[in-house]
Amino acid sequence: MLSPGYGPFAGRGALAGEVVVYGSRWCGVTMMVRRHLDRAGVPYRFVDWDVSPQARAQLEWLAGGRLASPTVTVGGQILVQPSLRELDWALMRAGYR
Amino acid sequence: MDSHAGPLSAQPTRLDQLEQDFAALAPQLPQGPQTQALSLLHGMVQELWRSGAAAAPAAAGLSLQDVADLHQRAPAMEGEAVSTPLKAGEPAPDFALPNANGETVRLSDFRGRNVLLVFYPLDWSPGCSRQLDLYQQELDEFRRRDVEVVGVSVDSLYSHGAWAAVRGITFPLLADFHPKGEVARRYQVWRESDGFSERALYLIDADGVIRYAHVSPKLQHVPDIYELYSVLDGLSAPKAA
Repeated sequence: MLSPGYGPFAGRGALAGEVVVYGSRWCGVTMMVRRHLDRAGVPYRFVDWDVSPQARAQLEWLAGGRLASPTVTVGGQILVQPSLRELDWALMRAGYR
Repeated sequence: MDSHAGPLSAQPTRLDQLEQDFAALAPQLPQGPQTQALSLLHGMVQELWRSGAAAAPAAAGLSLQDVADLHQRAPAMEGEAVSTPLKAGEPAPDFALPNANGETVRLSDFRGRNVLLVFYPLDWSPGCSRQLDLYQQELDEFRRRDVEVVGVSVDSLYSHGAWAAVRGITFPLLADFHPKGEVARRYQVWRESDGFSERALYLIDADGVIRYAHVSPKLQHVPDIYELYSVLDGLSAPKAA
């Protein structure tokens, strides 16, 4: 369901460069991705979609309806459960590394 | 977190601009099959774009990575926890179990060091692969906190050896294989109906005393690593007089 303002994608924020990790606190891959970003010193925002179902619904539309934990947005890129290699590649394209 | 590195200061690329325009149009679209089709197309474009990163030619047959990734398409393992673990403050029961090299490992071998005993259901399964990958990635953080990580499941030592090799796991995996699950039972984390253990953590201190116990409320839940680090940091802080 789409909501006015388009939540996390409103304005230039997320799509212009911010790194946002959407996922569950208990998901192993999400923790690997978050710790990878911690180590790399990449600033990011974590959205726990178990407690923010609206964020999940909004994200689902951009990802073609199929989401998996974690889904990471890096600039305009939407990475559904990326490997760390894919994540690094996306970060590099966005100018982070 | 609102601080940004380089990207925001750079001019947005045309693709960035298109993405933003696309997102801005989204709230104006009516619900219906056309909107859904656009969503699917956008998802496909994202996946195509992303696959550019892995544009290596396909190798013949299965690679080790393919085997390591089998868990991604394996049947799910789900279920509520059924156990109440031993309590912090109790002495940790000793055990003697073989590692993947067939050597007997006892809890008492670790006396003088802190041990994170990781009971997990099964090698090769989805949640366990991800949990142990995470611990391998974080091994230096555990070591920095003076904690040895030791995995325990009911799989045979041969399965442990193959699984560890494929995943690059370097910490010991112990085979609670015969009598099956005896150590898990001793630690009160056995799931009789499944024939494997809960996903459970015990932090055992240098004196062999349990300092922290955790059973995942659902089998598929990997314990929050940030919570675990705060527990470890709390325990290593100087004790009050």
